[in-house]
Amino acid sequence: MQIIKLTVNNKDFSVIVEPHETLAHVLREKINLTGTKLGCEQASCGACTVFVDGKAVQSCITPALRVAGSIITTIEGIADQNKLHKLQEKFVEKGAIQCGYCTPGMIMTSLNFLEENPTPSTEEIKEALSGNLCRCTGYKKIIEAVEAYVKDEQPTNKPEEKFKMVGQSRPYIEATKKVQGSADYADDIKIKNALFCKFLRSIHPHAKIKSINTEKAIALQGVRAVITGKELPVKFGVLPISQDETAMAVDKTRYIGEIVVAVAADTEEIAAKACELITVEYQPLRPYFDMKESCEDVGENEKIHTHVKFNNNIHKKAELRFGDQKAGLETADHKVKVDYDFQGISHGFTEPHAATAWWDENGLTIITATQVPHYLHRYLAKVLEVPMSRVRVIKPYVGGGFGGKSDPFPHEIIISHLSRILGQPVKMRFSREEVFLTNHGRHPTTMSVEMGVSKDGKFQVLDADIIIDGGAYGSFGVVTSYYNGVLLQAPYKIDNFGFRTRRVYTNKPQCGAMRGHGAVNSRYAVETIIDRLANEINMDPCELRLKNFLDGNSLTVGQYRITSNGSTESLKKVMEQSNWRNKYKKLPKGHGIGVACGFFISGSALPIHWNEYPQSVVHLKVDLDGRVLVTSGASDIGQGSDTMLAIIVAEVLGLSLDHIFVVAADTTLTPIDLGSYSSRVTFMAGNAAKMAAENLKIQILEAVATIHNTDKSELNFENEKVFTNDGKVNLTWIEAIENATRKVGALNSTGYYNSPKLGGDFKGSGAGLSPSYSFGAVITEVKVDLKTGHVKVVDIWGAHDAGKALNPLAVEGQLEGSWHMGLGQAMSEQMKYHNGLLVNSNWVDYKIPTTKDTPPIHTNIIETIDPEGPFGAKECGEGAIHPVIPAVANAIFDAVGVRVTSLPINAEDVLTQMKLIKEYENINL
Amino acid sequence: MIAEKQYIIPTTINEAIEKAKANAGHFKYLAGGTDVMVNRYQGNETSLCLIDITKIDELKGISKQDNYLRIGSLEILEELKFNTEIKTEFPMLIEAALSVGAPLLRKTATIGGNVLCENRCLFYNQSEWWREAVGYCLKCEGDICIATGGKNACFSELVSDTAPALIAMNAEIEFIDENGKQKQKLENIYTGDGVKPRNLSETAIVTAILLPLNKNYKTAFFKLRERESLEFTSLTSAVAVDKNGNIKIALSGVDPKPVVVEGTTSDDIQELIKKAVKSARAVENDMYSRKYRREMIAVFLEKSFAKLFE
Repeated sequence: MQIIKLTVNNKDFSVIVEPHETLAHVLREKINLTGTKLGCEQASCGACTVFVDGKAVQSCITPALRVAGSIITTIEGIADQNKLHKLQEKFVEKGAIQCGYCTPGMIMTSLNFLEENPTPSTEEIKEALSGNLCRCTGYKKIIEAVEAYVKDEQPTNKPEEKFKMVGQSRPYIEATKKVQGSADYADDIKIKNALFCKFLRSIHPHAKIKSINTEKAIALQGVRAVITGKELPVKFGVLPISQDETAMAVDKTRYIGEIVVAVAADTEEIAAKACELITVEYQPLRPYFDMKESCEDVGENEKIHTHVKFNNNIHKKAELRFGDQKAGLETADHKVKVDYDFQGISHGFTEPHAATAWWDENGLTIITATQVPHYLHRYLAKVLEVPMSRVRVIKPYVGGGFGGKSDPFPHEIIISHLSRILGQPVKMRFSREEVFLTNHGRHPTTMSVEMGVSKDGKFQVLDADIIIDGGAYGSFGVVTSYYNGVLLQAPYKIDNFGFRTRRVYTNKPQCGAMRGHGAVNSRYAVETIIDRLANEINMDPCELRLKNFLDGNSLTVGQYRITSNGSTESLKKVMEQSNWRNKYKKLPKGHGIGVACGFFISGSALPIHWNEYPQSVVHLKVDLDGRVLVTSGASDIGQGSDTMLAIIVAEVLGLSLDHIFVVAADTTLTPIDLGSYSSRVTFMAGNAAKMAAENLKIQILEAVATIHNTDKSELNFENEKVFTNDGKVNLTWIEAIENATRKVGALNSTGYYNSPKLGGDFKGSGAGLSPSYSFGAVITEVKVDLKTGHVKVVDIWGAHDAGKALNPLAVEGQLEGSWHMGLGQAMSEQMKYHNGLLVNSNWVDYKIPTTKDTPPIHTNIIETIDPEGPFGAKECGEGAIHPVIPAVANAIFDAVGVRVTSLPINAEDVLTQMKLIKEYENINL
Repeated sequence: MIAEKQYIIPTTINEAIEKAKANAGHFKYLAGGTDVMVNRYQGNETSLCLIDITKIDELKGISKQDNYLRIGSLEILEELKFNTEIKTEFPMLIEAALSVGAPLLRKTATIGGNVLCENRCLFYNQSEWWREAVGYCLKCEGDICIATGGKNACFSELVSDTAPALIAMNAEIEFIDENGKQKQKLENIYTGDGVKPRNLSETAIVTAILLPLNKNYKTAFFKLRERESLEFTSLTSAVAVDKNGNIKIALSGVDPKPVVVEGTTSDDIQELIKKAVKSARAVENDMYSRKYRREMIAVFLEKSFAKLFE
């Protein structure tokens, strides 16, 4: 150990450091400057960037002793006291901040680069930021923010917009905190005397645990507890119908990476050392890695789970059929049947899971990076065998989720248990490798899809046979199984429609819900088949789609109620903007354009837990200070739901955001919300907030009307005033609240959302039911290198029917993020396994597109005003990912005539097919 | 006695070598650290003693010496582009340097570090836990190569992007070891054995890269990667033709050492390309397949010659 002096943000520190400690560790753990984030710890994401003597470095790989005596600047030192740096202002103003986890690194990297090059081109900005990964924004608004700073653009937000709420673009309410590095994420929150927990993970894909020897680990100084699976035997799982998981492996392990032992110790290092001292004796069982193999009878071998119905590893079979597919195939003039393969995908949120748990007189409190506090609340109570009243789940700022933080997780249960037995707080954080092993990402999928069309371009039939690889446990898999099929019944009218999905267990990390849940892969299949059919009947693929779109206010074949429908408008918009008619089939060889469409749910109409509790509840409170407290269980994970709630309440009450205070996602303080997944929050929590605000407004109206002897209907709520048009009543908001609280004190109101009864009367009719659906279209342009097969996407035009954009800046951010994530799945991302062992569990080999891989994105919000959405709003966070992937594949066909049937699109595959086409052409010439 | 971790910051080469000798067997030199620190995080590099050489001024500076351009081994990759000599005489070196990783990394990474960066393999660049799970390969004291399913040789790839560019332009490497100051053709330090890919002695310090001047090179450089940034190479090809018509091809990313093929403009170019493809011992240890990377060698070289002879 050595004492070094550092000047950090103009303040001198003497710090004791270990010889090999990194600067990031010193800054975060010893100086408590947690604005410097750790996303990968391997210098491949840029979140930890700081300045050392004016030069940008990645602090995760900078030895602390190297920089002894240096002047360090972190994100916390960029604002001048409370005055944001102009670049920070631009990040806020332009909506360059969503989850905010990459933001400090983006700001630091940009500032350093701009010092060297104060007037960069867009390409130079992209190059400079190409070592900083962002998973939320698609980089578009980040680049725009840097450009606006360079041009010294004047702020676009005008003072008169202060009172404009719905439809007005505005930054997130917490954006200034995030841009300064002062927003606390789970690992930034230091609880006194917290022990550190580390996990020993299985090195076998499928094995009986014969013995675990923890003696040496327990004997190590500083180790406080070593626990194994037997201590936490109660099964859990996010779905009540899939309670197949335990917090740690009990008796046997089902994937490489499953937690077998957990250690709590005084420090992270001691806990890690203790894990090395544990020996586990395994008896390997036959592993299952291949999904087709998992459908077969296992014979004498042991199944992965004993509870499955037959002697195989099939977890769930879902099958629904409508109309007459046989007849559909007969009437179709052209049919196409294609087999597809898709690799698994990781959510890639930049913030690794982290949590701290402790017990006190109120029972358990856990602060954790979660999208769904409520389900975690339930399962902590279940596994720890305590009433829900003794469990409190708090969501701090969360660095992205995309579905990957929506299950209750073993690590959350384990540290809660450890802190209970030890009487001391226990914390954990995952390495990026552990995030990959925890997975719950998009299912690897194999499917065979057949469609038929009449020669005049009407879809006759759609049939899909799908297998999805669930990995070792259930997670959301039953829902995923249905979504793969049912979400194909729109946006086109197809009367003869059916599917079968089998979800299988394999000995790999479990899959679950990820952005666009369940339907991304099958949507790819359908949209690329439509492109083939269009080609067969010699019709423009846009025309073919336009001919087949479902109407607004109609029912699908499976009885989904379609209300507002912006399909046609979306597609026409991107056709026009991309100059489709002059490009399709007209671009030079190697250069192509492609189109696809999609749709998605705005929340599930049926809750996971069968009860009559509303899907969302929002409470409001207002007291003499006039500030409206909004409490909601909805989880803002960077998508902007806190801001959305504030906007809705302010809109109804005629306030500015200065009078709104949002407290969200704390299970003790906030009413239950079912969480941030399935694109439900704006629609459901938004409606609940609107109702709560209207109820509060009624209370104020009644009081003011009575006191001032006027009719309620005469009163207006606008610009923080309550007034009548004739001027008889003219109260400030504070005066109105003073009126309304006389004799009764602070006002409270509640609002809730219950989905209407929807759907048909058949088994499986509930899957995919939603009070509203979003629609959209994407056109992409690509260039294919004829020699290497390498594909470059050069432009993306997207349009998405979001009903009504409550905050257009935030909606654009969601769409751009979705398109960027889809681009990753299309072009470069995959979870690659070697005998059940994930090979690329880092951000060098798991390839999230960088700024340089992301083409210009042209964003269009289509507004159709949903009849039931809050102010007409519906989903915008997931649906947009669906069309972008097949649009890229269809563009490749236009460019070089190659049909891509497996993802990610692989240069080798494109090249091989180009050669085959050439051979074929030569033979036929 | 439990050996203690140390971090030593010498300010002269002699001092560095002294400290290295004193810690022989359990030290590692650290320049920029962009490679070593990541390998340490993964547990592939576990030396108790780190000798940080970045404060040694003798290792910095770019100057003309005799008929060479001498580039100090600590010169920063991102900064090579600011040097006029390199810009005019050896633009391919800038192209190569700017293809490494991402700009943030290149602001820390050095040219010496890049030519010495550790060989990589999908089955080696993993955490300690991972390597235990896969059954430890030859490069981490296991018995067989996992990537090839059991061969008794290590095929971890040389992934330096600057090395092929430098080799194609006949660079020499200058270093100091127990025998004093030495000079070698750069390609000669690479052994071809993935386990111990370089033949420099443990305590040797690379002091500079020397590039012969006045060769009037025409060059072509290509790098195969899935993303346009943040990538180690899957194939880097560098070709240089000097004013006398001497051709030198150097590849990385497809063999434990650089693949080097020399010829002249009067040779059959296709034969040179064939020779390069044949020499590359690529295996299935990359996100691109072995077959594709081998195929791309020919494609890249054909593209290179088309550019050079146009």
